[in-house]
Parts: sequence; structure tokens; C-alpha cells
Amino acid sequence: MMTVAIEEPQSQITFQGARMTLRKTLVVCSLLLLGLLVLIVLMSLLGSETLPVGGSICAIGTLGRGDCGLTSDQSLILLNIRLPRILLGASVGASLAAAGASYQALLRNPLAEPYLLGISNGAAVGTMLALVFLGSFEWARPLMAFSGALLATLLVYRLAHGRTGATPERLILAGVIVTTFLSSVIVFVTTLMDATRIRSFTFWLLGDLSGTTNELLVIAIVVAVLCTSVLAANARSLNLLMLGERDAFDLGVEVSRVRLIVFVAASLLVGSSVAASGSVGYVGLVVPHLVRLSLGGDNRMTVPAAAISGAVFVVVADTIARTVIAPRELPVGAITAIIGAPLFIYLLKRG
Amino acid sequence: MRLNRTYLIALLLVCVVGCAPRNYQPGNAQLRQFKDEAGRTLSVPARVDRLVSLAPNLTEIVYAIGAGDRLVGNTTYCDYPAQARQVEKIGDTLHPSIERIIALRPQVVLVSTASQLEAFTKQLNDQGIAVYVSDPHDLDGVFHSIASLSELLNQSSAAQTLLTDLRARTNAVENAVKSAAPVAVFYQVSAQPLYTAGRDSFVTDLIRRAGGKSVTAEVPGAWPKFSAESALAARPETIILPTGGSLGDTNSFVADPLKSSPAVTNGRVYKINADHLSRPGPRSITGLEEMARSLHPELYK
Repeated sequence: MMTVAIEEPQSQITFQGARMTLRKTLVVCSLLLLGLLVLIVLMSLLGSETLPVGGSICAIGTLGRGDCGLTSDQSLILLNIRLPRILLGASVGASLAAAGASYQALLRNPLAEPYLLGISNGAAVGTMLALVFLGSFEWARPLMAFSGALLATLLVYRLAHGRTGATPERLILAGVIVTTFLSSVIVFVTTLMDATRIRSFTFWLLGDLSGTTNELLVIAIVVAVLCTSVLAANARSLNLLMLGERDAFDLGVEVSRVRLIVFVAASLLVGSSVAASGSVGYVGLVVPHLVRLSLGGDNRMTVPAAAISGAVFVVVADTIARTVIAPRELPVGAITAIIGAPLFIYLLKRG
Repeated sequence: MRLNRTYLIALLLVCVVGCAPRNYQPGNAQLRQFKDEAGRTLSVPARVDRLVSLAPNLTEIVYAIGAGDRLVGNTTYCDYPAQARQVEKIGDTLHPSIERIIALRPQVVLVSTASQLEAFTKQLNDQGIAVYVSDPHDLDGVFHSIASLSELLNQSSAAQTLLTDLRARTNAVENAVKSAAPVAVFYQVSAQPLYTAGRDSFVTDLIRRAGGKSVTAEVPGAWPKFSAESALAARPETIILPTGGSLGDTNSFVADPLKSSPAVTNGRVYKINADHLSRPGPRSITGLEEMARSLHPELYK
């Protein structure tokens, strides 16, 4: 009797709490999504070529079907070059931030991030092998990138679990070791490749949104939306997992199943972004932390909000990359690192 | 006793360090002072007969002025003329093996500024090996490199014949395109990501001489990564793809965003042997002729 009397109001509270969180999440995410859409339109007005503002907004609104007074070159630049690149940036940012937020929750480590854990490098090695050995096969790049990311994830996870169990230090050490090992694999293969490919490859390694195909763009968008939804759907389990795997299991979480789902979904996210754009660093680290600081640590909020904020972050960074020394271009990874590193130090100082 | 031993060790050390072959010169003959293209003064023997080349264009120049048999080492990129393949390889231009170079006992090592080997140059100088730096930015620079290297190698008369021929062929091209309107050219170094030739590139000068106007002639740098939208907005009338040669079949397609440029819609995309355009040397004149034929096919019917 006693237990029932105690449990009932508690479960009601959590139920109401869940509805509150759901409503709050929906409101916040809709606002963020709206902001992202406005940003996409605004950023598509900027570029190395100046386009008429009114005509551009009209062309984006009608998706090029209406007569907006743009020349054919201008509408090609806007709709076939600029907009796809911005959409790619948005899906890459969303993928990396959602993957970062989930890794941080699952591995109970604030430093867990695709780049620092060596998962981006795993995907990079996969992509590179696809380019060298399976160059003609269009699907090889994302598939190999995904396999590389998943293998690196499993490797880091295994290495982090020693006889004494997993500790946050072990995980980061394992990540550093896998990262440096895979970096040397990359250096080894690029040295064997011919000189002209090396240049484009080193650029690509720093993260570059300019050289992608329509197929890779579609894959990146679909994977970003699907896998972020999967991760968000598992956010409650991630909340419980943050208490520790044993406690989560006692509270009814199927730990190994959730772990597998998160590993596969996050690897798909990292794999498709690396295949399309190389390794863009810091997004998975800085964005989830910023979101947690401003919106609290509930993963049901953090995962979707971080995804949309990650999209905003990369879209802005890439606009800087393609305009600041126009008509030349910088790799977007350089900009995310230049913004991300000081931002992270600031977050650290704030505690 | 103890003090003595310390002294002895110190003395040995001084000797080992001091006796390193700092001013080692094979066949230590009369040295002469020589200025290279970067304006550095080198001490070289009266007759240089052991050479290492660290760049394919320098290897080609050495063969063209008839001194190919003096090359004791070159890079894996040095594949022209065919005899250059038989010379001992010391690595590639970006990663030469200093040990192998020293073991070959060259009197002079030829490097190109493009390879950025400052630290490396110092190491060779410490071994008493002179480093000749070549620095051609345009066709005049190539003529200067040929004249200067022939002076270094005492091959002036062979070089005179070569230079007369190369200058005559250059003049012929320039005269042919003199009255034609310059053609707007986009030079695509690679499609993904999009790289082109900028202000400091040798190719920009070749395009100008061949009766063209590179749409990226004012972009800073030699090989900048370029905005696809700016490339399209520049409306190039002709696109040049350096491909083939040592590049194989890479870069044989126009970048996707340029597919709707006037050059592609009018079928004016030309492939030119990349080795003729990327190696400032005697074959650059062949590249110039091929460029002029691509830009002004109407003049070469």
C-alpha cells in the first residue's frame, strides 16, 4: 500500500514532466527550425557573385519556376550552386551535432565527439579507400565512410573498456590513439597517391562543402533527418543511460540494444557527412554544449535542438569560408575550428 | 686521471665534430662564384659534372642543353626524356631523401622554389653541396633559366641553338594571334574541388601569349581554390583541361557547375598535355603552341 501511495504521484509527476518537456521541445525546435530557414535564405544572398536581393528571394520562394528577373546564369548560381551547398552544410552540421550530443550522453563523456574520438577519421579512411579502389562506384563513398565510422566507433569503445571497466580518461585516450593511428594511415595513402590528387585530398580532409554531387547531397539530407529522428526517439533511454549502464538497466533500459542503435545511427550520420564534405571539426563538441548550457541537459531537448543549431553553425561558417577571400575559398573546417576552439575554451571557463 | 679522461672525451668530441666534412668538394678543383635565379651566390667547381635535379622541369632543361649525362640523381616525377627514367631516383620533389642525395656526391643540386625546401637547402649547404634555386614565373623566366643553367654547366653554345629555336617558335605564335580578339579562358586544374591558375602562375602568362585572357588572371596566388559561382559568372568562352601525360586520365572532365558555361555549350573545351603546361621548361613552348591552337582554331586551319 505504501509503495503504491508513493509511486503514483511520482509517476504522475514524470508523466506531466514528459508532456511539459515535449511541448517545450516542440516550441524551441520549431523556433530554431524557423530561424534556420530564414538563415538559409539570408545566406543564399551572400556569395562571391552579387545577385539581386528581391529576385533571389523570389526565385527561392518559387524554386526557380516563377519569372523573377534573374538571368539564367544568376538563377543557376543561386539554385544549382549556392542553395545545394547551403543545404549540404545544414545537413552536415545537423548530423555532426546530433551524433556528438548522443555520443556524449551514451559514453557519459562531455568530450565525446566524432572528430576527437577518431570516428571522423575512420570515415575519412573509408572514403579514401573508396576513392582509390572503387572510384567509379558512386555509392562506395558513403557506404565505405559509414563502415569506417562504425568500425572506429566499435574500436574506440572496445579499447575504452579495460579489465577495470570504462573510465572517461580511457575513452579519450582510446580516441586519441585511434585518431592518430588513422591519421597516419591517411598520410600513408596520400603519399602513395599521385601529386595532383593529394592537393584536393588535403583540402577535402579539412572539410570542404564545394565538391559534392547531387547524389551525396540527397543521401546526406535523408540520413540527417532519419538518423536524428532515431536518436531523438531514444533520447529518454539516453537520459537514463547517463546515470550509468547498470542503473539504466535496472530502470528497464535495454542497454545493449540502445547502444547498438546509437552507434549505428551516429556512424551513419558521421559517415554520410564525411563522404560528402570531409572532416568538419568542433561541430559535435561545441554545439551540444552550447545547447545544454542554454536549454538544460535533457537529451529529449538536446538531441533535436543540437541538430538544428549544428545546421545553423555550419551554414554560417561555410558562408564565411566562401565569401571572406572571394573569389577564392577556404575549407569550412578551418572556419569551424577557428570559431569552435575559442568558444569551447569560453565554455570551459564558465564551467 | 679522471680529469684526463674527461679531457680526452671532450677532445675526441671536438675532433669528431670539427672533422666532419663541412667543406667537402669532390675533386676539389678551382671554385668559381655563381649567382642562381634567386640571387643567391654559390661556390661551384669550374666544371660541374655531378648534378642532382629535384624537379621534372629542371631535368628537362638539363637534357635539352645537352648535359643530361651529368645527372647522377633525379626524382620519381622526372620521366622526360626517356633516359631520365634510368637515372637514380632520390624520392619525389616534395619528399627527397637527403641521405641518398649526399651518398650520390653531387656538386650541385637543382631545386625549384615551388618545392619550398629551405630547411633542406641548409642541410645540403652544410655538406658543402651547392644548391641552385630556379624561379621561373613566366616564359621569359624559362628562357632565363635555360641561359643561366647552361652557364652553370658550360653548355652555352648548345643553349644558344635551343634558345634561338624556342624564341622563334614563341614569336611565331605571338605574331599569329596578334590581331585576334583575346578569348576568355578558364583553366581548370582540378574539378572537385575547383582549382585554377592564379596571378602568380606560369600558365597565366602562357594564356596571355597564346591570345587569351584568363578569367582568373587577377586572383592572388598561383593555384587558388576557386568559387564555382564566380567561374560560371565569368562566362568563359574556352575551358582548358590540363590532363594526360604524368597525370593520366585525371581532370579529363569539366566541373559540374561549369557545364552551362558558354565554353561547354559551344563545345570549346580542350585538353592539353598537363606536362607541357605545368613544367616551365623547353616543352612549355609546345604547350604555348597547343594553347594558341585551342584558343584560336580559326587561325590554324
